Amino acid sequence: MTYIMSLFLLGLVLGLVAVASNPSPYFAALGLVVVAGMGCGVLVSYGGPFLSLVLFLIYLGGMLVVFAYSAALAAEPYPETWGSRPVAGYMAMYVAGVVLISSKFWEGWHEFSWVPGDELGEFSVFRGDIGGVALMYSAGGGMLVISAWVLLLTLFVVLELTRGLGRGTLRAV
Amino acid sequence: MTPVHFAFSSAFILGLTGLAFHRTHLLSALLCLEGMMLSLFIALSLWTLQLDSTNFSAAPMLLLAFSACEASAGLALLVATARTHGTDRLQSLNLLQC
Repeated sequence: MTYIMSLFLLGLVLGLVAVASNPSPYFAALGLVVVAGMGCGVLVSYGGPFLSLVLFLIYLGGMLVVFAYSAALAAEPYPETWGSRPVAGYMAMYVAGVVLISSKFWEGWHEFSWVPGDELGEFSVFRGDIGGVALMYSAGGGMLVISAWVLLLTLFVVLELTRGLGRGTLRAV
Repeated sequence: MTPVHFAFSSAFILGLTGLAFHRTHLLSALLCLEGMMLSLFIALSLWTLQLDSTNFSAAPMLLLAFSACEASAGLALLVATARTHGTDRLQSLNLLQC
């Protein structure tokens, strides 16, 4: 369990290093998929299966799919992967930075600081986060209405930004 | 600082560094912003789960909803940039020159 958790956390940090080290956007989106998968593993290990599934469904299945086909707008003849010279340099720098800063905290990281201490005695489908999210429909109903309104507003913002045909937002004068 | 806290904190700071120092594509900057939002989602969810304050579980969901709004606005700007400037490279956004 400790091994799996440390693998997930390592994958999280290394995946974001792969995104931040400025490769071509195709590879950065792939790194973000890896980060989201590892983050889902961390959430499941801490007893939050519903939030993990929501992350997979909405983030990977909704938002990153849109990023994936928008990456076609960033097409270039020689895409820079993680092995090319400037990207590998940035990756090494970020990994060195993370190792350097984590070396200040290493002494306190004994074996049991990696895994949570969960109190549920038997296997159950109904965990705490499922009941907590249901509050969004009862006591948090106002916030639900506000976020639905904001999503509708964002739709109109997007339609206005991509109007094109001589009356769009960005013009090259 | 426990390892998990260090993991998502360093993920956030790495995403912020990638956003601040991106060099070529606008889409790379948007992806680093998405990485930051992902680390914030994990942080809020772990706050809920570690402190047993399950009433707070709605907060990561709302963060995800607003992050979707922000991502779509960023992508609309990317599409508008690619439509008027021909590419989303940041060198082509040179109307305001120092």
